[in-house]
Amino acid sequence: MFGISDPGIWIGYLLSFLLTAGCIAYGIINWKNGCNEGSEDGS
Amino acid sequence: MAVDTLTFTIITLVYLAAVILLGYLGYRKTKGSDDFLVAGRKINPVVLALSYGATFISTSAIVGFGGISAQLGMGLVWLTVLCIGVGVLTAFIVYGKKTRALGHKTGALTYPDLLGKCYNSRFIQKISAFIIVVSMPIYTAAILIGGARFIETTLSIPYDTALIGFAAIVALYVILGGLIAVMYTDALQGIIMFVGMTVLLVLTYVYLGGVGTANAALDALAPLVPENLAAAGMTGWASMPEFLSPIWLTMITTMVLGVGIGVIAQPQLAVRFMTVKDNRSIHRAVMIGGPFVLMMTGVAFTVGPLTNVWFIEQNGVLAVNAAGGNVDSVIPLYINSAMPDLFIIIFMLALLAAAMSTLSSLFHTMGTTIGYDLNPLVKEGIPSLKAIQLGTLAMIVVSTVVAYALPQNIIARATVIFMGLCAASFIPAFTHALYSAKPSVSAAKVSITAGALSWFLWTAFVHVKESSVLGLSDAIFGVPSVLPMPWGVVNPIIIALPISAAALLVMLAIQKQDRLQNAQP
Repeated sequence: MFGISDPGIWIGYLLSFLLTAGCIAYGIINWKNGCNEGSEDGS
Repeated sequence: MAVDTLTFTIITLVYLAAVILLGYLGYRKTKGSDDFLVAGRKINPVVLALSYGATFISTSAIVGFGGISAQLGMGLVWLTVLCIGVGVLTAFIVYGKKTRALGHKTGALTYPDLLGKCYNSRFIQKISAFIIVVSMPIYTAAILIGGARFIETTLSIPYDTALIGFAAIVALYVILGGLIAVMYTDALQGIIMFVGMTVLLVLTYVYLGGVGTANAALDALAPLVPENLAAAGMTGWASMPEFLSPIWLTMITTMVLGVGIGVIAQPQLAVRFMTVKDNRSIHRAVMIGGPFVLMMTGVAFTVGPLTNVWFIEQNGVLAVNAAGGNVDSVIPLYINSAMPDLFIIIFMLALLAAAMSTLSSLFHTMGTTIGYDLNPLVKEGIPSLKAIQLGTLAMIVVSTVVAYALPQNIIARATVIFMGLCAASFIPAFTHALYSAKPSVSAAKVSITAGALSWFLWTAFVHVKESSVLGLSDAIFGVPSVLPMPWGVVNPIIIALPISAAALLVMLAIQKQDRLQNAQP
């Protein structure tokens, strides 16, 4: 994939992109959640 | 230096003026100890994300690990996976939100203070602070070396002048402006780093004919792997080392797991979660933190190996050979040799920014630890701003002295040492503190002690890279490692973290058993 033949490498790249997408999705989904929670439970 | 000195001087002065202005803003906003220690607990999520990322990613990741990936190949991309998965997602969602909530609830001002208050134990606070003060100067010194070395290479300034000048500028705004100044400047530095790394990636692929062509060219260099590395398991720069070979073990246990897991319990990062007022800020920060860390580590571990293609095409030698055998010099040399003048300046600023953002945070953490957590004059938990500022100054001096004592090629290794010790000592006890309604102080004491002790023993007597430098194993047993290969290349974190976690669990089980026995009539 993209000139890299070893799956051990390109799977690493793929996972990096997927996790980054996960971070963005998490931020968007929880954009308004957790406002003014103060010292309440951190969940 | 290849670039126009006047242009460079002007851009650098503008950058320094912006840093000083932000530092001054932090100074003006710092009205008391709460502001100095936890930025008044009202930091913006964008600033949190950039500050966290810029602190996490130092010259160590870019210059040190970039250089190592030039030597060992793209396998370090797995460190990027862990940096995002553990360093951002897990750190923010699992640890960050609880840290923030407990920080607010207990009024904790530092990481050792948080642990101490969660466990209601001065011992836990003191032992955590002690571990920080002992280990952090080594990591700090490595960051100083990375910044100074790049200034030396790029500006032809004597190393000593670069080192001291660099430490002095950062010291100025940390001591005066506290964590607000640190985080504001971090945010600016994070933006510069992001721009610098993006341009570095794009230009590298443009120079080498595009993504597919460049990667294929790197793949084709496999027959040029030096004999000693091939014998240790290296198969090429675009392929993983042989499974369980010495290079695989070093790459995976030391670089990937050592740093990727170690990030969880780093005091200078954990304290940032206590600077925001609610969980919404943490949710939003995750969205920025992920792409930021991807661009910082992913680019370094991609461009590093690709420098081999460029140096082979231009000079007919591998990158590490072009850099005279010093992996820490590969990235600076590549930038200075391959990049256009304007980009050299941008990247110079990006590296300076990376070093300054991490340095400032480490200076601040060490200063607050010695000036507050370990200060015997602190009464009723009320901090003295003057004492913390003096403590910060003292630790800056110590770190600068340590920087002179450390050997070459130390940047990445010092990072691993620091993160490994933090992980082994703190992760189980920190997790227990956050997620237990009544955390057991004796279990935490045993866990921290067992983690730190086993980490030290493995470092001093088994892990050859460190034990051969420390010389204790050789002096006592006449060999650099008391265990046969492959144990000598297995990083201490792989041994010490499970021991620390097991110690905690065993103690909890014993206490539960005791409670059950006592409850029986």
